[in-house]
Amino acid sequence: MSHPRPAPHPRRTAVGALAVLATAALAACSGPAVGTDTSAAAEAGTLDEVDWSTVEPASEITWWSNHPGASQEVEQELIRRFNEVHPEITVNLVTAGAGYDEVAQRFQAASQTDELPDLVIASDVWWFRYHLNDQILPLDGVFEHLDVDTEDFVPALYGDYEYDGAHWAAPYARSTPLFYYNKDMWAAAGLPDRGPETWDELGEWSEALRTQVPVDGAPMGLATGPSWSAWWFQNMLWAHGGQYSDGWETTLDTPEALAAGEFVHDLFHGSRIATVSTDANADFAAGVVASTIGSTGSLTGILESATFEVGTAYLPDGPAGSGTPTGGTGLAIPSSRTPEQQLAAATFLAFLTDTDATAYFSQSTGYMPVRTSAVESDAMQAVYEQMPQFRTAVDQLADKARSQDWIRVFVPSADQILTDAIEQIVLEGTDPEAAFAEITPRIETAHRENVEPYL
Amino acid sequence: MSIAVLPARRPHAADGRPVARLARRPGARRRRRRATLAFALLAGPNVLLLLVFVYRPLVESLYLSTLQWNLGSPVARFIGLGNYREWFTSPETAGVLVTTGVFTAATVGGALVMGLGLALLLDRRLVGRGVARTVAFAPYVLSGFAVGILWLFIFDPRYGLMSTVLGWFGAASPQWYTDPPWPLVMVVVVYLWKHVGYVALIYLAGLQSIPQDLRDAAALDGASPARTLRSVVLPLLTPTTFFLLVTMMLSSLQSFDLIQAMTQGGPLGSTTTLMYQIYEEGFVNGRAGYASAGATVLFVLLLVVTAVQLRFVERKVHYA
Repeated sequence: MSHPRPAPHPRRTAVGALAVLATAALAACSGPAVGTDTSAAAEAGTLDEVDWSTVEPASEITWWSNHPGASQEVEQELIRRFNEVHPEITVNLVTAGAGYDEVAQRFQAASQTDELPDLVIASDVWWFRYHLNDQILPLDGVFEHLDVDTEDFVPALYGDYEYDGAHWAAPYARSTPLFYYNKDMWAAAGLPDRGPETWDELGEWSEALRTQVPVDGAPMGLATGPSWSAWWFQNMLWAHGGQYSDGWETTLDTPEALAAGEFVHDLFHGSRIATVSTDANADFAAGVVASTIGSTGSLTGILESATFEVGTAYLPDGPAGSGTPTGGTGLAIPSSRTPEQQLAAATFLAFLTDTDATAYFSQSTGYMPVRTSAVESDAMQAVYEQMPQFRTAVDQLADKARSQDWIRVFVPSADQILTDAIEQIVLEGTDPEAAFAEITPRIETAHRENVEPYL
Repeated sequence: MSIAVLPARRPHAADGRPVARLARRPGARRRRRRATLAFALLAGPNVLLLLVFVYRPLVESLYLSTLQWNLGSPVARFIGLGNYREWFTSPETAGVLVTTGVFTAATVGGALVMGLGLALLLDRRLVGRGVARTVAFAPYVLSGFAVGILWLFIFDPRYGLMSTVLGWFGAASPQWYTDPPWPLVMVVVVYLWKHVGYVALIYLAGLQSIPQDLRDAAALDGASPARTLRSVVLPLLTPTTFFLLVTMMLSSLQSFDLIQAMTQGGPLGSTTTLMYQIYEEGFVNGRAGYASAGATVLFVLLLVVTAVQLRFVERKVHYA
């Protein structure tokens, strides 16, 4: 007698059905194309240059922003003004995050989907990663087609987005560090009403200033932390003739870079001109420190909270140079959108960064005007009238701004690693040579792992 | 020991074949099929959600950990165990593991001891006990991010309430934000503030389930309150302690919000736990493959910790 074929076990049937569902769910995974050579695959994704004269702009575009400087209403107003000139293009403004990082994370996560914007915030430390991932369009061709006067952009600001002979974003909400000083203390200390021209001069003034601050205060307060220390230290490096990097080559072992390291070590541990402020703006406003370096974007806040007259000045020069880095964000156009959408987005981008719009944006938010022609515009004149300190910031941008050294802004995690070294020197008193030597291989690894294969 | 619920065995005939099959009761198969359908209908949606949102990411994360992949890049390179090799040989790893260990030990140990103390206090018949219980539990339901931001104000070494209070005792405030290990201490204190109420609540439930006659018997035998606590109450609380130990350890190892709100892992990486490192590498540095390798390490660590606890600690648990 042959055994009857056993009926399928009910529980097993259910498990089987679920397994099928599971397989389907897993198969739905999408991810990157995997190969052994990322650069070859990346090359394949490069788009040919579009003949923009044959393209009709799309009628609707989406803009992902974090509304830098609480600018949601300002951005809505700019869209309204744009529609007076271009009623045929509707712009949807989307809040894509609370900060640059959040927008970037969302943009990265959406990169494998259709849910992409036509115009996106691209901060100074993110745009290059978008470019590495082939996510954004070079603007040169489409700007030429639209007759955008790129020569009129503040050179350092537009130059920040240049790589491989092309520009990958346009400057939008940009800021620089600025030297803030307490005019009352300056006067009481018998100092001239201006910032120090050099770091040495600040050193000469520091004894007089020390009499003006409380015992636990200092002539200068500086905050540490990521996205911050390596920004102000960039000025000190340039002031001593050093650089974070020359191209992709880390140059923290040069005598100039070491001199800058010794300088910042002395600032906190030798001459003690500076002290670590957990909140430098608050310490400055409270009169605990006589001066500080803050973002131009903090000007309004500092003026509001200070009970004394606030002076602003250029960042001090050093024995071998000068320069102020720039920061903030630009706007980029995703490469995977259709040429029609890209052209519409570029038309809007050209409008957003033209003379009137950038002056209006600067006036409303405190970010820098990104065009040279906007500096003397009526809108900006009104700002200088009301806030003469802002004039210094704009002049510094024209006189001293310099595009940042590559590794800090282009290599993922490099800002954090540089911050580690600067914090070791500032907080722990580590010998700069040792601190720099410890981080150099880490930066080189990050470059080798996360940049080189994609170039 | 816990009792596993086993399905009742179906009766078997002498030849070992199930009786049901021999009997072939009419409608039995249809009923079974309907039961199967009901099972699939009821369990299916939940199982599907688990598969899509728990197991699929788990498997995908394992796969990603074998890739050199920058988040958002259309291309990636297969590097096998390269990310693991880098993680285990990185000079940062030792620091991250020590920070994770210290943070976990301090938060779990602290929360259990303080929570038990609070529960013993709240177990007494005191005036305003209900209010006190609510107040103690309240921090647990607050958003970790909001709690972190608020406590930052309190800890501010210059303007904060903490420095004022320390000043009353003539003590200077430590540099909570910038001088390791104080930033880690700060995060631990806030974590404890947020979680002790929860631990106390669970302990309170445990205390109230201890039969009063056991305590009475101990008292009749002349045991002091301290002796009763040590020999009667604590042993009978071991199931609760064990439950709290496992859940608190899991939640502590995965805690993120307070660190993100208060220190972002700094300064000098002194508050970078394994969980925070995964976030930082993945979403700040965009190294999705490397971060996934870290996530796998954390997953294995959680698995091992839980297994060890189930294997060794549960032996010492007394069930009433």
